[in-house]
Amino acid sequence: MADSSNEKLHWSVRLQRFDRRWVFLAMAVAILVPFILPCNVPYKASPMVKSLYYTIEELEPGDEVFVSLDYDPASMPELQPFLEALMLQLKRKNIKMVFATTWYSAPPLVQRDISELVERPIEPTGAYGGLPDRAYVKNKDFVWLGFREGREAVISAMGNDLWATFDNRADDGTPLSQIPMMQGYKQLKDFDLVIVVGAGYPGVKEYVQQVQARYNLRMVGACTAVSTTEYTPYYQAGQLLGLAGGMAGSAEYEMLVGRKATAAQGNDVLNAGYLVVILAIIFGNIIYFVSRKRKGGAVR
Amino acid sequence: MSTLPLVDLLGYWLGIFLTLSILSFLYKDNPFYKLAEHAFIGISIGYIIIQQYYNTLRPKLVGELGMGHWLALIPLALVLMMIVKGLSQRFGWVGRYPLAFVVAFYAGLQINGVTSADIGKQVERAMADPVDYKTDVNTADRGELFSLGLPPAVVDGIIKQRAQKPFTSLGQIADMPDLSAANRADVRGSRGPIVGLDSHASIEPGRVNAFGTFSQILLFLGLIAALIYFYFSVEHKGVIGKVSRFGVWILMIGFGASFGYTVMGRLALMIGRIQEIRGDTMPSAVADQVHGPWVALASIIIIVGGIVAWELLRSDAPPAGPAQGGDDGDDSDDADANSNGEPVGSAS
Repeated sequence: MADSSNEKLHWSVRLQRFDRRWVFLAMAVAILVPFILPCNVPYKASPMVKSLYYTIEELEPGDEVFVSLDYDPASMPELQPFLEALMLQLKRKNIKMVFATTWYSAPPLVQRDISELVERPIEPTGAYGGLPDRAYVKNKDFVWLGFREGREAVISAMGNDLWATFDNRADDGTPLSQIPMMQGYKQLKDFDLVIVVGAGYPGVKEYVQQVQARYNLRMVGACTAVSTTEYTPYYQAGQLLGLAGGMAGSAEYEMLVGRKATAAQGNDVLNAGYLVVILAIIFGNIIYFVSRKRKGGAVR
Repeated sequence: MSTLPLVDLLGYWLGIFLTLSILSFLYKDNPFYKLAEHAFIGISIGYIIIQQYYNTLRPKLVGELGMGHWLALIPLALVLMMIVKGLSQRFGWVGRYPLAFVVAFYAGLQINGVTSADIGKQVERAMADPVDYKTDVNTADRGELFSLGLPPAVVDGIIKQRAQKPFTSLGQIADMPDLSAANRADVRGSRGPIVGLDSHASIEPGRVNAFGTFSQILLFLGLIAALIYFYFSVEHKGVIGKVSRFGVWILMIGFGASFGYTVMGRLALMIGRIQEIRGDTMPSAVADQVHGPWVALASIIIIVGGIVAWELLRSDAPPAGPAQGGDDGDDSDDADANSNGEPVGSAS
């Protein structure tokens, strides 16, 4: 019955009712093929990402940065490649790091990243032939402060008194007063740079609102693709010195650091995915306009 | 090469299996999808409870009370008042006080931040000089040169070089001695008359960046038009109507950019899962032990086989009456699928 009634319908109406799972299938094929047959489409770093990279390059050996790692497992494909490249760049320059998070889901991920990316040299991938990094030592080269609940309230408190926000202790219980690299770094403004790797709320935006504007901090950020358009005005207004958005931003940053890895691979796949989306949009619009023409422009 | 602990190995395998179980929803709602969905929700809630207890309740409430800091009773009382709201209709009003406290606290916190960061700075940016002048590389300070997007070594080189002899063309920047090949290539790659280095920099003062000026004016007009679209005190017809229409276009362009980035984010999630299955995201020693592609293949066989068996069992089962709700044959309250168990929106 359904088939015979379909035969009487105009092709545009039938296409309007076509099973969207075909689009999913086309997308799946478009994503899988570049993994098997890489296209290696060339790309250039955007001004925002270049500015982020050069801001970090400006740091001197021995400088200290505050790194807020506000992410969860869902954002790892976009932010993990950035974090790996960031750790490599900072460690190559012998920059000291203080880590914290305002996301309850982050501590296990941060501890794993510290163990794999900070406390041991980063594994070279592919044709990586850049400067080597080294294993950092806890409470000497880096400090992990841990997680505090409270979102903007915690960010605001860190701007005012970082030590008190974390009860004057690192996550492993060591009093901050006994950690030499923490001496003279009691507020966020004491750091040479604040780096926020944020997957959403609270993240880059809340740091800009609560502490960057108030203390005129030097700050860069990395965010998921969804947030990029929201945060770009902060870069344009000079509140952020650099911003890497989504997997594409991570891929550009990987290229600048000289260690193309998973984001660069993903960027190639993204191009194929975009192609399917563009074709789907064109296809949908053709059907829409044909339907409107048939109905005398009544379709809204 | 150290052997991966069995629990970690099982974790990787389970992750791959559950990923494919979730994706099986693209066929239709099925028991594998339900298993993965329920496991995800249950584990997430359990994880949040544990995290909040060890990171917040234990140090900030239990620990504080243990040390005799009785001020911690105030947040405890607020929490209990919230629970009363859920337990009793008669005394539900008690729950309004902690809610009011939280709303007032965050409103106060946000007003300051939003006013200075979002309104103040952004208005300042929008009120910038509409004429965008190029940066004179022969006189600009280090910060201005840095804002051209040049590497620090190139900026230092420009300052050093111009002290000896001013630049007579922008092409001389890439030809400066002591530049690395990468920096030289970077400078050459950044040249361009519309949005490249040539549009932002010049070798003499007072040169106008035409595209930058156009952008400034467009930004200003777009801002005004978008604001007028939301101004409802005047009827949107005549000139106001046309400006409002332009505002809609500006908003649509903004939404389009957001949509593009959202697509990128969603694709990245899929790419991330495939990379995990392929072992791209883990050290090669771990990937060699996980055998992700083989586990994925085994998972697909299990899921496809399971769904086929499930469909056969359903076709053999007597048709369910209206009391069972739909023709699924199961008693799930599926909010995301239609009566055929297909994703909402599928019109096949």
